[in-house]
Amino acid sequence: MAASSFTRCLVKSYFCVKCVAHAQTTTRMFCVSASRSSFVDAPKAQFTDTEVQDILTKITGLDLKKVFRPIRRQLTPPKYKLMTDTELEEAVRKAEEQAKHLLKTPPVLPERKPINDVLYEDQMLEGMDTAKYVFTDINFNVPHRERFIVVREPSGTLRKATWNERDRLIQVYFPKEGRKITPPPIFKEENLRVVFEQDRHEDVLNQCIVQFEPDSAEFNNVLMLTYEDIEKHGKYDLLRSTRFFGGLTWHLVNGRRIDGLLVDMLQRDLMQDAVRLVRLFNLVHPQSESAQQAQTQQATDLDLLKIYAQYESNRAGFIELAVQTYEQTKALSSF
Amino acid sequence: THKNAIFIGQITRFVLQRIRDWKRSAPVLRLNFRASSSSSSADDTDSAEVLSRYSDRPWEYLESEEYIERYGSKPVWSNYRRNHKGGVPPQKTRKTCIRGDKICGNPCPICRDPNIIVHYKNVNLLQQFISPQTGIVHDPTRTGACMKQQKLLNKAIETARDCGLLSAQLPHVDYSKEDYSNTHGAVAATPAPFSLSSGELWYPWYGSIKPDERELARVKRIYKDYLKPDV
Repeated sequence: MAASSFTRCLVKSYFCVKCVAHAQTTTRMFCVSASRSSFVDAPKAQFTDTEVQDILTKITGLDLKKVFRPIRRQLTPPKYKLMTDTELEEAVRKAEEQAKHLLKTPPVLPERKPINDVLYEDQMLEGMDTAKYVFTDINFNVPHRERFIVVREPSGTLRKATWNERDRLIQVYFPKEGRKITPPPIFKEENLRVVFEQDRHEDVLNQCIVQFEPDSAEFNNVLMLTYEDIEKHGKYDLLRSTRFFGGLTWHLVNGRRIDGLLVDMLQRDLMQDAVRLVRLFNLVHPQSESAQQAQTQQATDLDLLKIYAQYESNRAGFIELAVQTYEQTKALSSF
Repeated sequence: THKNAIFIGQITRFVLQRIRDWKRSAPVLRLNFRASSSSSSADDTDSAEVLSRYSDRPWEYLESEEYIERYGSKPVWSNYRRNHKGGVPPQKTRKTCIRGDKICGNPCPICRDPNIIVHYKNVNLLQQFISPQTGIVHDPTRTGACMKQQKLLNKAIETARDCGLLSAQLPHVDYSKEDYSNTHGAVAATPAPFSLSSGELWYPWYGSIKPDERELARVKRIYKDYLKPDV
């Protein structure tokens, strides 16, 4: 019994209740799920958890043709190499590693707290000028988040610069490639609508991560608008195998709206991905009906899907039908 | 043709265009709207119609019949040839084709057709001046555009990329080396100043280092007039 659950833990990262009782070293990475099995009101999974990241990377997929599709840039004459089979496999492996590096999700962070810190109020300097003076520390070896930027107002107060002012000034003194000092008009509502109609969500998201910091309000706003539009029209495949699919899934799971995505996966016969998605939902919402039922029944694979369809989903009929068809085809093919 | 060129130079810009169009597509009788409006070649009546019909919506011209008839599916600069001495053209095209009312001989592909307006929303026109393989704007020596129009083109392409109408190539952003904890005093509230609690020393090693006895005695002897009585 213990041996079978042990192998299950190694092969699939699902519940392993028995591992709690046995002090086995391999259960270290599954300790999140293991602890949840013992407590009912367990903490919600965070974005940075290993298991969550693991599920998200697996759902994103690794379509090398899409990740390394030809982009418009300075062309060089093509290189042809004669390779043996082993060398070819080695090259493919290196390409996959590079693809994994390119597909790392941008971090999902809580919104940064505004800076309202007055360092000194000097009445003597009041009215000395009509403009504000901004003093920036431009030492090269200081990280941008530890750089002191202070503003002397015309009223004489010396205060720390706000986040917007900080971003603008750091871009002035240490310009980053592709980032503009003022945000470009693509992030306005009307322009975003035009771009979404052309199905260029990935371009918008690339522009967004280049322009804004990941914990700023505008970054989260643009991401949310994009994800909403994708979910409204069901265009999940546009982001599959890009670095934004993890963020999209996380947003949907937190909003408890994974039905559209689940149906899309089932339509494309991605059963494993659908199961992982439901598993992620159970991790993030441990108090929900489906999570508790799955826990009590120790469900795995397609049973998870059935439980989710039964308790939480709006499109239960479709999900159950898809699961049944899959089981039938599997049974037929095994004969 | 040289005498013809001198004669043509005295006529206004639109009659000039009509003759050139007729030369290019001879069998088609082109009834241009401008020719029907005023037959006189006076400058003021023609300069009043300088504003082309498509000045409000320049992108409509690229779908119109006259455009397709004139250019087909090729870019507007495909049949333009610069006139210069020698085999190697000058590395910069002319500064501008139109100075005031006068238009030069052999104007560039954008200036020769007043319906072609460089506007950031005119995406199809802008795409013709960008290489489809590399995404770089074509050099004016290749397209033949005058420098003024090339500057306008560059500005329009940049605005179109900012508004998202044209795709731009962006660098890959790496998040692995950044720290987003925001705990440093530069971005968080200033931490309270350090104050000593009673009995605590400023440096932790104050109590642990013992001075040399003889040195201490010597120093005390030198400064014995200035020492506090309890030391």
